[in-house]
Amino acid sequence: MKSKYFDEWRAKYETMPGAKKYPHVFSPITIGKLEIPNRVKYAATEDNLNTHDGFITKEDIAYMAARAKGVAGGICTMQGVTTDETRKGQGYLGQACAADRKFLPGLTEMANAIKGEKAVSNYQLMHCGRVGGHWAGVAEGPSAIPQRLRLFEPVEEMSHARVIQCIDEHAFAAEIGVEAGFEIMEISGIVGYLLSNFLNTYTNRRTDEFGGDLEARFKFVGDIIRKVKSVIPDDMPLIIRLCAWEQLDDVDGNTMEESLQTYLMAAEAGVDSISITVGWQESTVPVISRDVDKGSWLWVPKKAKEFGLKVPVSMAYRLFEAEMADKAIADGVIDYWENCRPQIADPHMPLKFLEGREEDIRWCVACNVCLARLFRDAPMTCYINPTCAHESQPDWYPENVHTDDPKDVWVVGAGVSGLEAAWTAAERGHNVTVFDKNAEPGGTLLDARQAPYNDYELYEVTTNFGMAQCQKRDVEFKFNTEVTADMIADELPDAVVIATGADYVKPEGWEGDNIISLHEAINDLKPMGDNVVIWGNKKPAIGCALALAKKGKKVTIVGEERSAGKDINPSFRWRYNIFLAQNGVKAYNDATIKEIGDGQVIVRYYDGVKFPVKADTIVYAERESNNALREACQENGIEFRLIGDAAIPRGVSGAVHDGYKTGLRI
Amino acid sequence: MAFDAEREITSLWRAFHGTQDDGRRFFYLWRQTALQLLGDKADPMEVALKAWENIGIDTAKSYFPRTNLSKPNWLQAIASNFVATWMMRGAKIRMEKGANDNEILLIWDRCPFPTTAKQYGASMEEDVQGCDKGLQTTVEQLALFTNKKLKIETLKAIPRGEGACVRRLWVEE
Repeated sequence: MKSKYFDEWRAKYETMPGAKKYPHVFSPITIGKLEIPNRVKYAATEDNLNTHDGFITKEDIAYMAARAKGVAGGICTMQGVTTDETRKGQGYLGQACAADRKFLPGLTEMANAIKGEKAVSNYQLMHCGRVGGHWAGVAEGPSAIPQRLRLFEPVEEMSHARVIQCIDEHAFAAEIGVEAGFEIMEISGIVGYLLSNFLNTYTNRRTDEFGGDLEARFKFVGDIIRKVKSVIPDDMPLIIRLCAWEQLDDVDGNTMEESLQTYLMAAEAGVDSISITVGWQESTVPVISRDVDKGSWLWVPKKAKEFGLKVPVSMAYRLFEAEMADKAIADGVIDYWENCRPQIADPHMPLKFLEGREEDIRWCVACNVCLARLFRDAPMTCYINPTCAHESQPDWYPENVHTDDPKDVWVVGAGVSGLEAAWTAAERGHNVTVFDKNAEPGGTLLDARQAPYNDYELYEVTTNFGMAQCQKRDVEFKFNTEVTADMIADELPDAVVIATGADYVKPEGWEGDNIISLHEAINDLKPMGDNVVIWGNKKPAIGCALALAKKGKKVTIVGEERSAGKDINPSFRWRYNIFLAQNGVKAYNDATIKEIGDGQVIVRYYDGVKFPVKADTIVYAERESNNALREACQENGIEFRLIGDAAIPRGVSGAVHDGYKTGLRI
Repeated sequence: MAFDAEREITSLWRAFHGTQDDGRRFFYLWRQTALQLLGDKADPMEVALKAWENIGIDTAKSYFPRTNLSKPNWLQAIASNFVATWMMRGAKIRMEKGANDNEILLIWDRCPFPTTAKQYGASMEEDVQGCDKGLQTTVEQLALFTNKKLKIETLKAIPRGEGACVRRLWVEE
């Protein structure tokens, strides 16, 4: 059976450059009995945009509609709905619920919104198991195994009767989804959610029929599959998300072979497709952060197929690029392309591939700030996409807020914030000129891109995107040009955006040839000894430390922040702490450099404790805002905006968001 | 460059020992407060056991992220955690190999808790049983977490006049 807009999309693809460039991504696929025009799927993710008692909001509907438009006729999955009235299965504060018919109107509106964008609507059931109980204060699972991470609630063991009830609740919630008008049914059993808890040897110690060998541990999952299958229409595909490799070897979790066996069992139980995932939330191995190379998990679906899995499979997990997905489909490694974080960063990403507008894609930088927000009960946001979770606000988009009063706008600085401000202001109708003292754009990131662990992605993503958007809107660029107070006074532009970044500042009294700036150190502009001490413990210092450590230097960082990388979001900071340890970089936090001597510095902790550290070279990496042009603007009565690091030295996200909002407001 | 390493280390060491003493006094003052509030119905042993149970649970939580069963010496790693915890609490503690690979002995040659207990009016038996409760609870939580039959038993106790505290940590086959 063809999906509703199948023919319309297939005809449209004929005229689209992306369909020729990525013929496999934009070829049809049949899942169960449903024929879908392309092989793109937006994977479910929570966004904390719904009410705290599980009702869908207009903000969530707008968020999903944008993603539905982006899949260009493919599958769009709403966030997983919790299935139990006790809310022990609720893992996120704003998670939608389907435990009662009162939730039906909102879910219907959601299904209609997705279908309204001519996408295939997918509905997901998600009881969060041991990572649930967010609202109830207690989670439930097959066994009461203590939590490894303090973040999660204590776990209560489900009685046999409760397990049976929970299976029925899944069926009930599935019926609600069918009634709401969704076209595909999906069950989530990944990352530590309830189904995965039953499958796992470490979290399932039951002695009844739901615990024991793999077959017994699978019974809960199998019963849910069969029960859900019995209440959904015969031609409605059923997908399940299961983990192929839990990465819980350190606590004697399932072997990969056991997990792959559950794939065959799920297919046998009646699922039409499997979404392959890796890792649990309590795994100690990174899965989707930027340091994991793109495409590095493709061996997993390959292995699943070699294991004998016959139903179509999909996979997300650092599979960001259509080219990569297209090849993986062509090679038979996956059958369709699933993505989640990339469409948080750019809801229209697949559509832009289809339209041949790849330069317009805001690429995800795999920083996981989206997850960090969700785990801390905050609404979804994106490091790189200022419009994320603002889809319901038309005035958040520059094309909707054209100016009646076009101005000559000078943007001083072609770094991240300057480029964002420039293109958004130009989109609104202003005449924009960007100046930069360097010969190329990028600002601070020209240094930051030298850091290892794929930090160059930050530069590429922001600078390439910003430049492309500016060029499309006829923004004028003047490189190798340092704007001075005199220039402003002479030419009197209508508005000035001061995006001049921040400077590395040498502390007062520090003198010597062996004292150099981060810029000089990371670009190898000055000779350095073997023992390097870096002053500063924020992200720039950490990036520099890692870059120098990779070159064989013995690096120590000393900084006043209470912990290294306080400016990195919590879901990524733990990775940097591991990188520092792996590269032998010592970090002395909450400390200052009290004295510089011959071959060493004296470090002083906040409480007065002092100790010497070997130092042939000292690198200063602390930054101060460069806002020197402010006075010139004030004196001449010119409207000015101070943005990015020129306002307060911060990470890339602050720069992007500052720039974008400034462009909207000028 | 004026830096006196000996002076820095000794002052740090003094501060550390002061912190250890302070921590123990804090514990017994909380115990006294609980007993005062409970009045006549107070059972000091009950209060102490509950407190040590809570401490045991929380201690286990701090061990979980460091517990890696895929490493062959995981039992030793757990024993090292106990050693580190008690060193921080002011004890002189070491571990020794047990009769077989599944067994490690934890030996407290010295422990400041009985002395502080006396100062604050707690009985020696309460001190032994409280400490046992804390260790037992931590081990029970670890056993639950790791799915291993991890056990601990007390063979000797300083408050009972036996010269050292000796505990056997083992995995039951």
